[in-house]
Amino acid sequence: MHDAGPAENLRVIRNLMERAALYRRALAPVSFAAGTLGIAAGAAGWIADLDTARSFASLWMTVALLGLGTALGIMRHQAVRDGEPFWSPPARRVAQSMLPSLLAGALAGLVVALPAWRDPLHAWWLPGIWMLLFGNAAVAAATFLPSGFRRFGWLFVLLGATAVFYVNSRSHAAGMPSLRLAHLVMGATFGGLHLLYGVYLALTEPRARAS
Amino acid sequence: MNPEPFLQLDRVIHEKGRLAIMSMLAASPSLLYTELRDSLRMTDGNVSAHLRTLIEAGYVAVTKSLEGGRPTTTYALTATGRTAFAGYVQLLEQIVAQTRPPGR
Repeated sequence: MHDAGPAENLRVIRNLMERAALYRRALAPVSFAAGTLGIAAGAAGWIADLDTARSFASLWMTVALLGLGTALGIMRHQAVRDGEPFWSPPARRVAQSMLPSLLAGALAGLVVALPAWRDPLHAWWLPGIWMLLFGNAAVAAATFLPSGFRRFGWLFVLLGATAVFYVNSRSHAAGMPSLRLAHLVMGATFGGLHLLYGVYLALTEPRARAS
Repeated sequence: MNPEPFLQLDRVIHEKGRLAIMSMLAASPSLLYTELRDSLRMTDGNVSAHLRTLIEAGYVAVTKSLEGGRPTTTYALTATGRTAFAGYVQLLEQIVAQTRPPGR
């Protein structure tokens, strides 16, 4: 900072103040909510035996929208409680970082979900693609979030890549099982991992303090 | 260019680590020691040394308490610290305005 110019100092101050404001949003409740929703949806898809490409993609895109809405609702509630702006500059940056990958995921879902003629087994590509894209979104947003979030994103990228390679190898050889099982894969990854991350955050995240 | 604002810059704040700590604290009512250390990616020794300097200058106040049975140390800017930080930022803005080429 000694050698940095005054303009650079001001930029550093602005960035740090934004980061401090963002750091106060507790992610543990968001992660718990997303995890519970994911596990419930996985169980529902399995029990309801949703084994067409359209029903699979529709269910999980609805769950993604619900999860996003719930996350925004919780974060808004925290911001209002703490008397801080919800749509702050760092919050906008997180949203901007995640948006391209999330839109790509929605597009992939629509391509699979809309055509009625789609072979149900084509939908087996979706869990891996969605994991890859969600992981990308998380890694991109991690710059503005606690460091653990980056590892969480990379875990999804790794699992997504594994899933894509697995589906690719199976589709050339023995074929894929019923889509019913894919609901369990989604529930275990998107639901289970969010829940586990929520537990990790609850143990490590600073306790919310009244401002 | 008028060198006066440069000379007025608070030497306690005008150090990379301490400026970072002051900036974080200026944006929050208070922060935990671990929050400061982890978000600024500083070592324990570095954070402690800078915090000690800021406390001695009267810019930062420390509060020790028990939260859920665990000892917790939180830091916050004092009124003096908030004024000093605001003055520091104001001087920086003044310097930036002075060094900006005319017409921009």
